[in-house]
Amino acid sequence: MAQSPQDVFAPWDDATEKPLIRFRNVTKNFGDFTAIDDLTLDIYAKEFFALLGPSGCGKTTLMRMLAGFEKPTTGTIELDGKDIANVPPNQRAVNMMFQSYALFPHLSVYENIAFGLKRSDMDKADIPARVDEMLRLTRLQKFAKRKPHQISGGQRQRVALARSLAKAPKLLLLDEPLGALDKKLRHETQFELMDIQEKTGTTFVIVTHDQEEAMTVASRVAVMDAGVIVQVATPDRIYETPNSVYVADFIGEVNLIEGHAAVDNGVATISWAEGQPPITAKTDLTADTQCTYAVRPEKITITQHEPQDRPNKIKGAVLDIAYLGNISTYHVELPDGKVIKAQTANDRRIARRSFTWEDTVWLSWTDTAGVVLTA
Amino acid sequence: MRRFTLIAIPYLWLFALFVVPFLIVVRISFSYYELSIPPYGPQLDLSTGWDGVKAFFAELNWDNYAFLTGDDLYWKAYLSSLKIALIATFLTLLVGFPIAYAMAKAAEEWRPMLMMLIILPFWTSFLIRVYAWIGILGTEGYLNQLMLGIGLIDAPLTILNTNVAVYIGIVYTYLPFMVLPIYAALEKMDDSLLEAAEDLGCTRTQAFWLVTAPLAKSGIIAGCFLVFIPSLGEFVIPSLLGGSDTLMIGKVLWEEFFSNRDWPVASTVAVILLLILIIPIILFQRNEQKQRETDG
Amino acid sequence: MKKIALLLATTTFASAAFAEEVRVYNWSDYIDEDLLTKFEEETGIDLIYDVFDSNEVLETKMLAGSSGYDVVVPTGDFLQRQISAGAFQPLDMDQLPNAGNLWDIIEARTSQYDPENAYSINYMWGTTGLGVNVAKVAEALGEDAPINSLDLIFNPENMEKLSACGVYFLDAPSEVIPAALNYLGEDPNSEDPDAIAKAEEVLMGVRPYIQKFHSSEYINALANGEVCVAFGWSGDILQARDRAAEADNGVEIAYNAPTEGALMWFDQMAIPVDAPNTEAAHTFLNFILDAQNMAAASNYVYYANGNLASQEFLIEDVIGDTAIYPDAATLENLYTKAPYDSRVQRTITRLWTKIKSGT
Repeated sequence: MAQSPQDVFAPWDDATEKPLIRFRNVTKNFGDFTAIDDLTLDIYAKEFFALLGPSGCGKTTLMRMLAGFEKPTTGTIELDGKDIANVPPNQRAVNMMFQSYALFPHLSVYENIAFGLKRSDMDKADIPARVDEMLRLTRLQKFAKRKPHQISGGQRQRVALARSLAKAPKLLLLDEPLGALDKKLRHETQFELMDIQEKTGTTFVIVTHDQEEAMTVASRVAVMDAGVIVQVATPDRIYETPNSVYVADFIGEVNLIEGHAAVDNGVATISWAEGQPPITAKTDLTADTQCTYAVRPEKITITQHEPQDRPNKIKGAVLDIAYLGNISTYHVELPDGKVIKAQTANDRRIARRSFTWEDTVWLSWTDTAGVVLTA
Repeated sequence: MRRFTLIAIPYLWLFALFVVPFLIVVRISFSYYELSIPPYGPQLDLSTGWDGVKAFFAELNWDNYAFLTGDDLYWKAYLSSLKIALIATFLTLLVGFPIAYAMAKAAEEWRPMLMMLIILPFWTSFLIRVYAWIGILGTEGYLNQLMLGIGLIDAPLTILNTNVAVYIGIVYTYLPFMVLPIYAALEKMDDSLLEAAEDLGCTRTQAFWLVTAPLAKSGIIAGCFLVFIPSLGEFVIPSLLGGSDTLMIGKVLWEEFFSNRDWPVASTVAVILLLILIIPIILFQRNEQKQRETDG
Repeated sequence: MKKIALLLATTTFASAAFAEEVRVYNWSDYIDEDLLTKFEEETGIDLIYDVFDSNEVLETKMLAGSSGYDVVVPTGDFLQRQISAGAFQPLDMDQLPNAGNLWDIIEARTSQYDPENAYSINYMWGTTGLGVNVAKVAEALGEDAPINSLDLIFNPENMEKLSACGVYFLDAPSEVIPAALNYLGEDPNSEDPDAIAKAEEVLMGVRPYIQKFHSSEYINALANGEVCVAFGWSGDILQARDRAAEADNGVEIAYNAPTEGALMWFDQMAIPVDAPNTEAAHTFLNFILDAQNMAAASNYVYYANGNLASQEFLIEDVIGDTAIYPDAATLENLYTKAPYDSRVQRTITRLWTKIKSGT
């Protein structure tokens, strides 16, 4: 990340930038259960920040603490430099879009959007203009008079978004905002969300269990597990350089190979199986150690003949082929029974595909294709 | 044909159990008092054929309706019943809503038991339960003894035989009719709606009035009607728990029928009571209809 | 009482298919329940016993017809009205050998309601008067409280002081209005509108202090100290006295016929014209006319009866109590009530509603 902040949005790399939200050593207990365990995290203004993790990892609790529905057991949460622990939800410049949308069934779309404005100190006369603006932003002008049960799921989602944005909060929280939509609509809406985030300049914090969604929309992703943040980074860093087996495995597909690394001058030589050549990989490690080598399937090239000039190569037999349209995943079985996945882009028609079941093939990759993980 | 039969059943039911008895009551309301068996006339005499029928109808008249409008007792009784029924309905709502709310917010596994507790009193005779209140509310009753015992009062309160006792009796008896529809409405409510309201700047109280109350509206209206309608014509509770000051149309009706043995006047009172009840029911249904149409 | 009726009803229904039955509709708390079992044992007839507490309710059932009852017990003036409405059948004296036990003095008086006593026999008779909780009335009005005078209940000053401890009135216009007329020195049987208006004034004056108009609840209310004065029927008040004594709750009840004169009433047993079991009904009447049975009933309910032969079996508490069997001087002072003319009846009932409700 050598670029200057003017070119790329990366306030987290700028030491002079003040975070909008600061979690400092926040712990939240529900009885004996620790939902959040000594968590420290900074989120910056205008970020689209994703909290990603399996259910029960604490991401929703974290969000509810931001909204004010839960108080931290210990530690502080600051918004704009002020501790907000004792500020009730209705006095926070934070709005939330609920997973269930929580639209008021007895109110029309218009009234739903105006609900928060009427509770604010906004001049009564200015409310219609603001609601109209929100309706336009979310393309709901035609549905203003309808009740929530008279519009589609996607429209409801947009009403919920418009309602939570109407008060122009400093921070918008989105709890699984797209969970109830079908896949195609979800993809469209992801881009719409990014678009709206950019137009309004609001800081978004999104909670999701869908890694693809997090990768698509977020400026940074925090991967959570059992109440702690395992890694916070931009989507590409999370994907390419996961800091742990957990992250590598959680995000996308990965081949995990356990072995022992002998490190020499930034290069690890990993011995991992009897009778197989060791894997070489560039690494930051400085000492020999037990490790897990993680390499993404698309980084592995599959060829019929033994490739030249590749630092890592293994021979195996095609066990299975998963055709996904744009790509195909080959499951290649090594002599010791281990299965390695390799992906190729289908830039040719199926009829001209090179490999089929039980073909003997060579898998190869570079020394920068994978990462050596010790956690 | 089968469909016709199916539709006809509820109508036949309504006809046999409501329309026919009601027409008999209407017919008696147009009759006059007579010391005979039965104690009213004219009687239809079919032995004289068509003339008998004509003579019968000629003798029916509006005298009892004129009598009722001419005597302010009845209007006062209707008004007083309306007042008592309205206040009692309001009190029942006041007591019933928090119960329904607590039930709807209670943990899922507790709800069937709470529901049971609400319905349980119905398993004992209504009359016995009202009698039990005589023992509780009397000057020597449990309530006074308790309050005297803990030093809350110095002299026993006169509760029994007053309107207060009538209110207690009505609230107690009709509480389940208020709780159940409100519970049904609140149970469907998503808790996140209240959080959303708070998130959008409402205090807890505002959230209650702006979200919970409107969503419970249908249940509240249904509950109020279920309490209001029977309490308006209530007889047992005012006659057992009420005093000489408790003027209710149900009691007047009973007295016209039993004490005065004036069936025609009693029938007239009943017909007018029904008309009074029908008006709010029709208004309510019109309102519902309109609501449905706009919601389309 | 109701419980017993129910119990009897269920036990009798079981064998209804075989046995003869008789259905009796009597005043509440008005018989020794042992007599009911005795009747069933002696005659093998199933007895179904129901109770009421107002003449008006009984009359409603009689005039509606098909009440299903075989024996009913209206009071004299009501009996008279119902006879003229054709509600009763003449008694078959051949089936009532015990009728000879009847007391001619009472028969002479009841014949003004039922000429020649053709439709009814006397069951009990009594007076309408003042039941007081001695201690509480003394506390409210002092030791010299007029507990044997109508002044106690018709003088607003007294009533105001009594209202705190509770006053019940009979819910019976044909007894309360004559009493008010009598208090004013008018003819208790007066149908004169002016006199009735004056009685209304008296009653309206004390109405605010009356807790309830009811014709049976006062027995319990007096006995357990809930109320301190009841204008009610002699035997009922004496029953309250005994219940209080039995309960040993420190409540002492006394009954007095007002010195101004008291209403003397007669409860007559009669057979409805459409009674399903006429023969069994006569059997029941004859059973009641038996001197010892009648005495047992009186000994239990503390009312005088119209059965001369029963008097030798009466206990001293009953026969010796002038509140039950008045001495000659008191008897002189008692008046009877004829039924109201049907036109006056409506005025009276309307007046009564007004008094009860204050409207």
